[in-house]
Amino acid sequence: MRDVVCRHGGLEAVSGVGLDAAPGERIALTGTNGSGKTTMLRAVVGLHRQVTGEITVGGRGCRTAAEWAWRRKACAWIPQRPAAGRFPLLARELLASGGDFGGALAAAERLGVGGLLERPLDSLSGGQLQRMHLARAVGCVTAGAGVVLADEPTAALDFAGQEEAAAVLTGLPVTLLVVTHDRAMAGRCDRVLEMAAGRLREVS
Amino acid sequence: MNTLDQVYALLQLVPVQRAGIGLLLAALGLPIVGVVIVGLDIMPVRFAMMHVALFGIAVGQLAGLDTVLCALVACGLAGAGVSPLARTTEALSGAMGLLMSIAIAAALLMLALSGVNANGAFALLWGSILAVRPADLAVIGALAVVVPGLFVWRRRDLALLLHDREMALCSGVPVGRLTTLLLVLVAVAVAGGIRLTGALLVDALTLLPALTARRLGHSLGSITAWAVIVGAAVNTVGFLISLAWDLPPGPILVLVAGAVALATHLIPERRTTSWRASASRSATSSH
Repeated sequence: MRDVVCRHGGLEAVSGVGLDAAPGERIALTGTNGSGKTTMLRAVVGLHRQVTGEITVGGRGCRTAAEWAWRRKACAWIPQRPAAGRFPLLARELLASGGDFGGALAAAERLGVGGLLERPLDSLSGGQLQRMHLARAVGCVTAGAGVVLADEPTAALDFAGQEEAAAVLTGLPVTLLVVTHDRAMAGRCDRVLEMAAGRLREVS
Repeated sequence: MNTLDQVYALLQLVPVQRAGIGLLLAALGLPIVGVVIVGLDIMPVRFAMMHVALFGIAVGQLAGLDTVLCALVACGLAGAGVSPLARTTEALSGAMGLLMSIAIAAALLMLALSGVNANGAFALLWGSILAVRPADLAVIGALAVVVPGLFVWRRRDLALLLHDREMALCSGVPVGRLTTLLLVLVAVAVAGGIRLTGALLVDALTLLPALTARRLGHSLGSITAWAVIVGAAVNTVGFLISLAWDLPPGPILVLVAGAVALATHLIPERRTTSWRASASRSATSSH
């Protein structure tokens, strides 16, 4: 990222952020609520649109629809508060959307939600939903994604679940950028960065 | 003549046969359009398209073109026109309101300019199933092929889009193009449905079967299947009742569809296994 600025209307949520992540590096992004972490992550996959500056993944920027399609295939995204959705979607359909159902299913089994495939997502608890999204992200990786962008992926999990999810995420052979307030997750990462008022600084 | 004889005799009449075919074809496409309306949360679309259709009719009268064709084209273009605003549900609902206001203003202006009696234009909005023309059947027939076909062809993409637009985007779904296509289909279907039952009663063919199905199904596939089944059953029963007791078909179709929707909402929600029990079972099996 070079000089990335993200706005919400007139409000500057991310201010001139620069970040280099080496392939395979695991980076934890911490910071207070409202400091711009989620906005920055969403900008990488084009979910936040008011962005200036340069964001490249694997040396590739995004100007055309084809480039955005490549970016979204290359970057698995785990949302901050997974939506239960306006319309029912089966857990099986969510896992399949990552591109490799088999890989996602194996992860779902490991995370203890493999028996819930035929359940609509809106009937799952917050923790189960978060595990499903984590399993989907694993499916994205086995389908070829080289980057995982995870936004507080352990926030709804119990302590054992947090440990398990952190182990799954940091064990993936990818570049990981994870927004987290979970010390266990941050402890497993190679670098910890902190965001405050839209600016980024290295903590460790 | 008893009731059965009366129904049989009426079914020998060409307009009645045409109406029956129209309703059966409508049951294949329009309830699925209702599923899209519920999924995109654009319930006001009927009112918006009613006004856009009126604008199309006004343009047709001013230009001396086929008014129904103009209404369909206007609705299709309006559907495509609002799709850039479909990034959020709130924006789309607001766009429908804006469209409605602009369309009615433009329609009234067109009617004033053309010197046509506005009542004549409004009359076209009060369609009747017994006045269905072969051209109307062609539109409904095309929708009966295209809409279910789209749902079979792009089922995965549609399920993701109707569930969560952002997750669909991140899963490689062409969200913009698909939303535009859905809005055009919704607009044309509502305009086509208006010709069958009239603007105020078009819900019987679209929304009410979808609302019933939303209660009965738990995935896009099962909701779509239920919508078609309920649509076909309601249309058949409603039409036969109207023939048997010589009642107007439009209101009867709405009342039957409404009664079925109400009944399914009164049935207690199916008991599902507690997520806690499922979680403990799956957690046990995974260790």
